[in-house]
Amino acid sequence: MRKPLEAPLNNRELTALIILLIMTMAPHVLHLNGWISGFFIAAVFLRLVALKTPKALPGRFLLFLLTAGGLTNVLAHYPLLMGKEAGVALLTSMMGLKLLELKTRRDLFITVFLAFFTLVTLFLFRQEIALVGYVLLVAWGLGAVLVEASRSEHSANLLVPLRKSGIMLLQAVPVMIVLFVFFPRFTGPLWNLGFDSRAATAGLSDRISPGSISKLILSEEVAFRVNFEDKIPPNSNLYWRGPVLWQTDGFYWNEGPQQRPRKLKLQVAGEPVAHTVTLEPTHRRWLFALDLPQKRPPNSIHMPDFQLLNLKPLDQRIRYSLTSWTEYNTGPLQEDELQRGLQLPPNITPRMEELVAGWKAEAEGPVEIVETALKFFREQPFFYTLIPPLTLDNPADEFLFETRRGFCEHYATSFTLLMRLVGIPTRVVTGYQGGELNPMGGYLVVRQADAHAWSEVWLAGSGWVRIDPTAAVAPQRIDRSFNPNIDRSFDIGEPIKFNLKESDLVKRLVNQLRWGWDSINSSWHNWVLGYTMERQGSLMAMLGFSFLRGYKLALGMVLITATVVFGLAILLWNQTIIKTDPIQKAFLRYCKKLSRIGIVRNPWEGPRDLATRVIKLRPDLATDVARITSLYIAMRYGNEGGQQKLRRLQMQVQAFRPSRRPAG
Amino acid sequence: MRLRLPEYFIRRHVYADVEGRAHIRPRTIYILPTAQGILFGAILFLMLLGSINYANNLGFMLTFLLAGLGVVAILHTWRNLVGLELVAGRNEPVFAGQEARFEIQLINHRESTRAGINIKLADGEPVACDLEGKSSEALTLAVQTHHRGYQPLGQFVLFTRYPMGLLHAWVYIDLDNRCLVCPAPGGRMPPAQVPDYRQCPKGDKGVGVDDFVGLRSYRVGDPIKHIHWKTLAREQGIQTKQFGGDRADRRWLDWDSLQGMDTEQRLSALCRGVLDACEKQHEYGLRLPGTEIKPNRGPVHRNNCLASLALFGESV
Repeated sequence: MRKPLEAPLNNRELTALIILLIMTMAPHVLHLNGWISGFFIAAVFLRLVALKTPKALPGRFLLFLLTAGGLTNVLAHYPLLMGKEAGVALLTSMMGLKLLELKTRRDLFITVFLAFFTLVTLFLFRQEIALVGYVLLVAWGLGAVLVEASRSEHSANLLVPLRKSGIMLLQAVPVMIVLFVFFPRFTGPLWNLGFDSRAATAGLSDRISPGSISKLILSEEVAFRVNFEDKIPPNSNLYWRGPVLWQTDGFYWNEGPQQRPRKLKLQVAGEPVAHTVTLEPTHRRWLFALDLPQKRPPNSIHMPDFQLLNLKPLDQRIRYSLTSWTEYNTGPLQEDELQRGLQLPPNITPRMEELVAGWKAEAEGPVEIVETALKFFREQPFFYTLIPPLTLDNPADEFLFETRRGFCEHYATSFTLLMRLVGIPTRVVTGYQGGELNPMGGYLVVRQADAHAWSEVWLAGSGWVRIDPTAAVAPQRIDRSFNPNIDRSFDIGEPIKFNLKESDLVKRLVNQLRWGWDSINSSWHNWVLGYTMERQGSLMAMLGFSFLRGYKLALGMVLITATVVFGLAILLWNQTIIKTDPIQKAFLRYCKKLSRIGIVRNPWEGPRDLATRVIKLRPDLATDVARITSLYIAMRYGNEGGQQKLRRLQMQVQAFRPSRRPAG
Repeated sequence: MRLRLPEYFIRRHVYADVEGRAHIRPRTIYILPTAQGILFGAILFLMLLGSINYANNLGFMLTFLLAGLGVVAILHTWRNLVGLELVAGRNEPVFAGQEARFEIQLINHRESTRAGINIKLADGEPVACDLEGKSSEALTLAVQTHHRGYQPLGQFVLFTRYPMGLLHAWVYIDLDNRCLVCPAPGGRMPPAQVPDYRQCPKGDKGVGVDDFVGLRSYRVGDPIKHIHWKTLAREQGIQTKQFGGDRADRRWLDWDSLQGMDTEQRLSALCRGVLDACEKQHEYGLRLPGTEIKPNRGPVHRNNCLASLALFGESV
């Protein structure tokens, strides 16, 4: 019972902690560099051995050597110690070392806190629902370790601290929800070392290869937001023009040699669409605009292929206004455009030429050839898939004749090649397609997931005309913004199915389940992972808190959190209220009344002694005091219960009104 | 964590009520983060910065969940103390220079466990226990005594870090319990203490407890101790052992007989006298200026004598 404040760590506690640490590090260890993971695993192994034979633990000198070794190991693989990978490598090595010197309670606390920190770094790499469940499980266990450590003796079994930790975590959930919803979200990173961000926020690049856009399609990051002055055009017209790619080596497509700006002649029809774009930083010069932009924003250049370029790379958010036309005619073809629009790579195969020759023979003009080509994509078994099979040697050829599974860039590039083979000037346009309307803000959010590639052919009389071969294969891709998250679980090459009607009941059920899971996943993405400043704003508007902006939002967060905590306090307080024994309560009241006439009961004085003293001092109170005392003693010590007796005691105490001076 | 607030800052003590019980009320509890708690806060801040920087909503989620855990821990640490009842337990008289041991009974009226309850004196080592639901435990605080008289336990601190170790909640408690400290026994009483033999009023053949006289048949009211079990076992009826004698060595321990000593020395010497007399089973009386305790025997008498020595000259 009497133990020093610091009960030593016992093996049960250590084992539980080691298991939890292994669980914490496991997801990192699986993807980190082998040397770093190896270091950690070796440390864990040594520690497990030391559970049986404590002598196996390294001494001070050896520990110092191990620390130096661990640090060297990290530096050897991440020389600059920059970026999150390096940070995690360092954390992993530290955790391994900490395991080896886990002796006191203080070490235990530091280790548990390091583990909490490691848990949060897991989310930098993966964000599935399952991982969240896993992390919560580990956090629950770590909480239980803290509970166990703050007892003065070890608990009977580990379920006791686990229960306490679980209850506390459940009570922490409302606080978490309030903080999560109300904590002000920022627009950009606090600091940018440029190591992680380039890869993470790449967006479109100035060259594409098969597969480069489908990688983007998994990113929920916002590319830009658009406010329209009037009506929003239909989704099928929402093509956001980005880099125009002319030149290919048979594998990559790029913009080709620099073009010279010139005066653009554009005949337009229909309604102009005025809009304002808020572009997230891309570190590039492209300004995205609705096809086709006529007026350029200030500080930008309008290229001959209607690409808008800012004068400087965009390292910060930028907002610009534009006017575009969805019906247009670009007029005659320029000399250099003819040359560039017919450039062919060296790896054209005979069967591609054969295919094109067949079309040429049958069709009467370029328009018909384009239609035949689209029909080819539509009627041959082509599938639209996010994870196309690898096509290494000759992507276009393999895609057209063998795999026939691809994403928008496969369709756009191969279509462009075929058109060029026919002799129609064609180019690839990359950008975004569609966008998600924010019903609250009334603006359109275009995400990296909306990245798209299409073709433009030059037809006499019409100028450059947009042809989207992807639409021929998967028209739903264009009709509605599609959710890429459906397809993460897909196998390589499996086609994406849009609104397929299944007659089979089982299949329908499976589909239902898949859509159910998909909708969970999609709300997860929309409301948890994608809870951005915009979503926060619209949620606040929905809750009627639209006045909460900036610091007011932070203030509101503090107030609402305080309310929740107060509620929790009341909940806990209710479970704590001490019900005083009514017999004792009556007696205390009697003592209080006595103290008013100057007879204060001493702590060591029993009821009988007190009565004797009172009667000695105040014989006039003898009857009342004797009655109350005997009743009290009978009930409290004689265990004579009964409501009647209690009532009598209470009434007698009530009636007991000693006067300050003895009567008479 | 060693925390001592200046006296004027401490407004809220827990005192014992008229029944000698103290209940910890919500407003008497102080609470501050421990060193670990501050470290936890710092780690949470780092996690928050990371989450902001990478705009990682799951990071926010875990950070906020742990922050919520910290907040809930405040409530739970506080609740671990609220409603706890303390009762000053018994303590045995000690001699000056010995440790006075104060027993403190902790009573948990609640169904749930109150673990990690520590008590300590301002500069002492803490003693701890885990109180299961609806149970009580006794902890002992030891105080080094120096002088005779009453040694008050005084104010002590009850604290806990349960359930997370992130917070240190404490209460200042004064149960108003005290321990009797007798004078440290001095050297042997001088031989001037000649035993004052006294004849038993009933003579040597009277009823006493010293010498076995014989057996007689049992009468209602005879002490069970005196029943002669052997005759009962032989089925010869119940017989009671009779004692006589009681001519005792009876001595007076007299203040005035101790000349040439100061007050404390005299008290010490008298204390030794009481202890020796007890050991030898003598009947003894005590004479102090203004007090006289008639000769007697037994533990009650001994305690009375020691108490008057301990409290001599003190106004209690």
